[in-house]
Amino acid sequence: MNLFANLKTRGNFVITHEDIDRAHDRARVLAARSRGNWFSRFRLLWLLIGPGILVMLGENDGPSMLAYAATGAKFGIGFFLPFIVLTFVMAIVVQEMTVRLGAATQRGHAELIFERFGPFWGWFSMIDLGIGNFLTLITEFIAIRAGLGFFGVPPWAAVLAALALLYTALMTHRYWTWERITLAIAAFNLVFIPVALLTHPDWHSVGHAFASWQPLPRMEQDTLLIVLADIGATVTPWMLFFQQSATVDKGMTRRDVGFGRVDTALGAALAAAAALATVIATTPLFTHHMSAEHFQAAEFAQALRPLIGNVGASLFALGMVEAGMVACVTISLSSAYAFGEVAARPHSLNLPVRQGKAFYSVVFLLAVLAALIVLIPGLPLVYVVLVVNVIAVLAMPPALAFLFLLANDRELMGDVVSPTWANVLAAAVVVFLIAAGVMFGISVIAPHLFAASPR
Amino acid sequence: MNAGQKMRTPLSPSDEELVLSALEPDQLAEAKKQRIPRRSLRKSELLVLWFLRVYLLFMIFVVVYQAWSGTH
Repeated sequence: MNLFANLKTRGNFVITHEDIDRAHDRARVLAARSRGNWFSRFRLLWLLIGPGILVMLGENDGPSMLAYAATGAKFGIGFFLPFIVLTFVMAIVVQEMTVRLGAATQRGHAELIFERFGPFWGWFSMIDLGIGNFLTLITEFIAIRAGLGFFGVPPWAAVLAALALLYTALMTHRYWTWERITLAIAAFNLVFIPVALLTHPDWHSVGHAFASWQPLPRMEQDTLLIVLADIGATVTPWMLFFQQSATVDKGMTRRDVGFGRVDTALGAALAAAAALATVIATTPLFTHHMSAEHFQAAEFAQALRPLIGNVGASLFALGMVEAGMVACVTISLSSAYAFGEVAARPHSLNLPVRQGKAFYSVVFLLAVLAALIVLIPGLPLVYVVLVVNVIAVLAMPPALAFLFLLANDRELMGDVVSPTWANVLAAAVVVFLIAAGVMFGISVIAPHLFAASPR
Repeated sequence: MNAGQKMRTPLSPSDEELVLSALEPDQLAEAKKQRIPRRSLRKSELLVLWFLRVYLLFMIFVVVYQAWSGTH
């Protein structure tokens, strides 16, 4: 039985402003689909991409890019290049389920957990999401502050500029316009590719690393911290909530699931390219034996300046600003969508301010609060940056359990219920994440077990 | 006055026609207010969810311990 087959007819519903805006977007999709030639298919792809690319490039955020930069500076080219690609494959497996869930149910992730499994489990998920999102949001403002600090912009001006950009993007009151503006900003994440090229990478070593996963890093606590940080740089709970809500807000339906998959894979490919480029860009710090522990964005850019010049270092710092900025938008939105779904308040980027007061307020209040925390002098924020990705990895298995249950719920999903291959891959991701978390836990509790291992 | 009532503004016939032709019934904002029936979790599912909850709490403790030992 499909739970959505028995909805009342349209005549019984009030048509809202949100519906009209979404209908305009969907009309273009339907028109492109009706033509059926190659150009129309390309146009259909153009119209339907968005949530997947945004979630993947959004997750290439401040702490993620710092994790990749630290990876390159500490380990150089080797095991971590193919490992990062593997983490993006995991991200595709997980995020693809949210596309199907959103398209099949037209509900956000938080709403589905609350309604299907009850408030007890719903609140657990919301607490995980809320804490993780807020800590991550703080780190995005740290990245923005540090990145703009490289150009001499004072911290207050940096966070004010970020808040102004967030405001401008949201005040379009149209999902489509917001999505295209944010996609344009997110494309700047690829700036790490020219930075990597400026370092004149050893392509033979890059090829060897992908072919052999060598050289392997020493098994010690720092390595496991980087492993977890790199995993947390690609798979995190907010991504599940954001992509499902954005899929619904965009108006994607079951017929669009194929394009949603392409969107997700394309986003993963672009984000992986930027991540690998960041590792390669900071590899000269490894080859020159420069200690990069506890570096923030500006320090990486400053350390790279003698090696790749002013332009390269400036691009690196700008990339960090972009990483923080896009994530600031997407993470605040994932919290606001979840809040609206749970509190049964209107939650859409197609809402005028008057009707979406609560939704827009959550986005801004969270961003302003995170920005203010970053401006408090003397706070040990570096620890937040270090642990935020680790917390994301640890919170992922419980979040994936709900995703797994929902994506296998035949009453909800109908013909897009998870196939066996998707379940096997999802189970493998959960086992991998738990194993990585347990290994990290052992390395903290009993560090001597790892310290003596040979290279 | 709730949000739904505020949105009851007169629609132009073209807007109404557009919405009716472009959106599926369950895509309408009002349709999304219909609740989805609760599903009871099986014992095995509850066991997994509780295991993962305990795992998360324990691991958060480990992270806090690591951060604390890092600062000292």
